Formats: sequence, C-alpha cells, structure tokens
Amino acid sequence: MTRCLDEATLQSYFDGELSAQLMERASTHLASCVTCAAAARELAEETALMTSALAAEFEETVPTQALRERIDAAVLGERVASAGRVEKLGLFASLANVFSFNSQRTLGYASLAVVLAFGAILAVVKFRQSQVQPSTTNIQANVTTPGSNQPKTPEVGSNQNQQVASNAGGSVAPSSRPVGKPTGTRRPSSAAPQTEAVSNHVKLIPGERSYLQAIARLDSTIKSNKTSMRPSLQVEYERNLAVVDRAIAATRNAAKSNPNDPDAAQSGNPSTSPGRRP
Amino acid sequence: MNGQARALIESMPNDIGTEAVAPLSFDEAFTLHHRAVFRTARAVVRDSALAEDVTQEVFLRLYRNLHATPGEDLLRAWLLRVTLNVARNTLRGQSRSMVRDNEYHKTATESGSAAVEAPAEDYERRMAIEEARRALDKIKEPMRSCLLLKQQGLSYREIAISLSLKETNIGSLVARGRKEFARVYGKIGGRR
Repeated sequence: MTRCLDEATLQSYFDGELSAQLMERASTHLASCVTCAAAARELAEETALMTSALAAEFEETVPTQALRERIDAAVLGERVASAGRVEKLGLFASLANVFSFNSQRTLGYASLAVVLAFGAILAVVKFRQSQVQPSTTNIQANVTTPGSNQPKTPEVGSNQNQQVASNAGGSVAPSSRPVGKPTGTRRPSSAAPQTEAVSNHVKLIPGERSYLQAIARLDSTIKSNKTSMRPSLQVEYERNLAVVDRAIAATRNAAKSNPNDPDAAQSGNPSTSPGRRP
Repeated sequence: MNGQARALIESMPNDIGTEAVAPLSFDEAFTLHHRAVFRTARAVVRDSALAEDVTQEVFLRLYRNLHATPGEDLLRAWLLRVTLNVARNTLRGQSRSMVRDNEYHKTATESGSAAVEAPAEDYERRMAIEEARRALDKIKEPMRSCLLLKQQGLSYREIAISLSLKETNIGSLVARGRKEFARVYGKIGGRR
C-alpha cells in the first residue's frame, strides 16, 4: 500500500495536473485508502460548491460585441496615431532636426557667452592690476628719486649716466664703485667683478649719492612687493637696471681704453685711472 | 471517483481547448481569449464598465506587442497576467469611486430599490455574485488569484506564469484556497 496523498497531490490529481505515472499511483491509492477517499470526496464537494458559487460571476454575459467594437476602434486609433507619427516624422524630420540642432547650438552659444563673460571679467581685473601696480611703483620711484634718477627706460638710464659722468667731471673723486655695488648685490653683472676687484675707499659725488639711494630704496620696495609684482613688470624693471649697468660698464671701458682722454678719465674709476696714470 | 473528478473539471466554466496550432492573429486572440480577460477583469474590478476598459487596454497592449508576445500556448497566461496588472492599477485609480459605488450598492440592496428596478431573477443573481465576491475577498493572495484563474480553466503552468509563481506550488495554493473559500462561503450562508 502506497503512502497517503497530501493536499497538493490530491488537488493536482483532481485537476489532472499529475504525470501519467503519478496519476495511476494516486488512483490506485484512492481505491484502497478510506482516509484519502474521504478527503477526495470533501475536495469534490468543495470544488462543486465553489464552482456553483462563482458560476453567477463567470456566467454573467460577456459583452462580446461591444468589446469587439471598442477594441477595433482603439486599434484603429492606434494605427492612425502611429501612421500620423510616421507621417509627421517624414514631413517635419528636417525641421525637427533643425530645432534640435538649434537647441544644441543655443547651449553652445550659452557656454560661449559664459566663457566670454569670464574672459571679460578677468581682463578687467588684470587691467586694473596692471594700472594699479605700475602707478604705485612709479609713485614710489618718483617720491624717492626726484629728478631724472629713475631707472625706468634706457633713455633715462643713459641720461643718468651722462649726468653721473658730467657730475663726476665736476668732482674731485668720481667713482663708479658705489654704483657697481648695488648692482653687484642685486645680481652678478659684468661690472660687478671689476668693481669688486677695486678698493673700497671711494668718495661719492652729491648727485651720485642721491641716485644710489634712489636705486637702493626702489630695490627694497620692489623686493618687498615681489610677491604681488607681476612677472612682466619685474622683467621690465630688471631689464632697465641691466641697461643702466651696461651704460656704466661701457663708460668705464671707454675710460680704460682711453686713459689719455680727459673726459673719459674724468668719468672713469678714480681708483684705477690714477693707478694706471703714473 | 475518477469519473466524478473528470466530470467536475469538465463542468468548470472555461473557454479553452480550441486553440489552433498556428500562431494566432490579433483577431483570433480576441475571439479566443476576450471572455477570460473580461471575466477576470470583472472579478477584480467588480464593475462591467471598468472591466470593459481593462479588456480594451489589455488587447491594445497585445496589439502593440504582438511581435513580442509569447507563443500561442502561453498567450492566455500572458493576457491574464496583463489583465490582473491593469485591473489592479485601475482599482487603485478608481478606489475612491469604487468606495462610493460599493456604498451605493449597499444602501441600494438594503432598501431594496435595486430589486424594484430589476426583475427578481436579476436580483437573485446579483446577490449570489455578491456573496461569492465577499467570500473571495476573505481569501488572501495569491490563493485568491489562483482560484480565479483555476475557475477560468487555466492549467497550473498558466497560473504559475500569470502570477509569477512556481508551478509546483500551485496545487497546494489551489487546495488551500478552495478549503478557505468553502469555509468562508459556508459561514456567509451561501451554501444552497
């Protein structure tokens, strides 16, 4: 005798959902098992009850005709709509593309405008900085170096040299040594080794002293402002100083090569020219 | 016993067994399955007009997805799965009006105004439907849906596909649902 059928197997048997082999086995068991036969009877009764209870629900008339018409109309509407979509696409494809492209382009323009705005703001800020910084340095230079002692341009530098030379001509002990000293401390120049080689006892002419003071002050001011100073401005400043140094060196060379020239001798290094001159 | 079971199965209301082997056209699908769809929808939404809306939506989805729907053997399961989803969504959307409708029904049946308008036969049927629906309401998911689909004549496999369940669980679910229905329905007093 086989095992009794569980609830699910009995239901499956009843619903014809078992495999042929299991169906056969269940059928054999039900014929010999009183308990399972009773359970099957109960199942049949309950199923009959449920079927009759739901019969009213499921036997309600189905409005086939009305459904048919509704769904045909809906499907027709769907067809028309899809056809309309296709037609619309065919007719207005280019226009739609233009519109979509335009929207993209608008986005591009917007980003370009933003970039331009940023550029304009940066330009204004930079312009203001470049206006403010040179003016302050100029003011400082003008304050500290009244007259022509401003190492701003090559012309000014040469004028200074001429002035120094003319001043030296009027003085007893003209010297380029103090001039070389600041430049030497600033950075190694061609004039620096020569000036280092010469002796330290030098007398400054009055004009040269103010010029040296002006350069020293300008130098300290610029050093203190180095961080905020624009690189281009700094480069220009150093270039101007280099021009001044070169002019001084040229004058000294001229004095060396022409020891007999009184003008050059006057402007030359007094410590060297007297030494050479017996 | 076996013969009795077969007879009971055959007595169940269903519209299966006529499916052709060739792939179904939309018209054939409608002809074969619109009853099952409509009845399932009406059993869920409890309203003929709403059930028509649901049926239309289900067949529109079939029309839109005709190339992607399963083969003929599983088409009914697919349709009823969609039907249950659409019907439940419809119920959610219509919950307020449904409450009003039910309340109206309650007062109408209590005062007997519906019976005055409708013939006695219709009234009895309506009462029978109401009792069965009340009993079904007491059965938990997914047993209730299992019973609904089983009563439509779906196989365990189709029920499993429609409800996203394991086929091996359907027998147990149907048995438990059937027992529960008998218990609740007997209590309500629908046993005739």
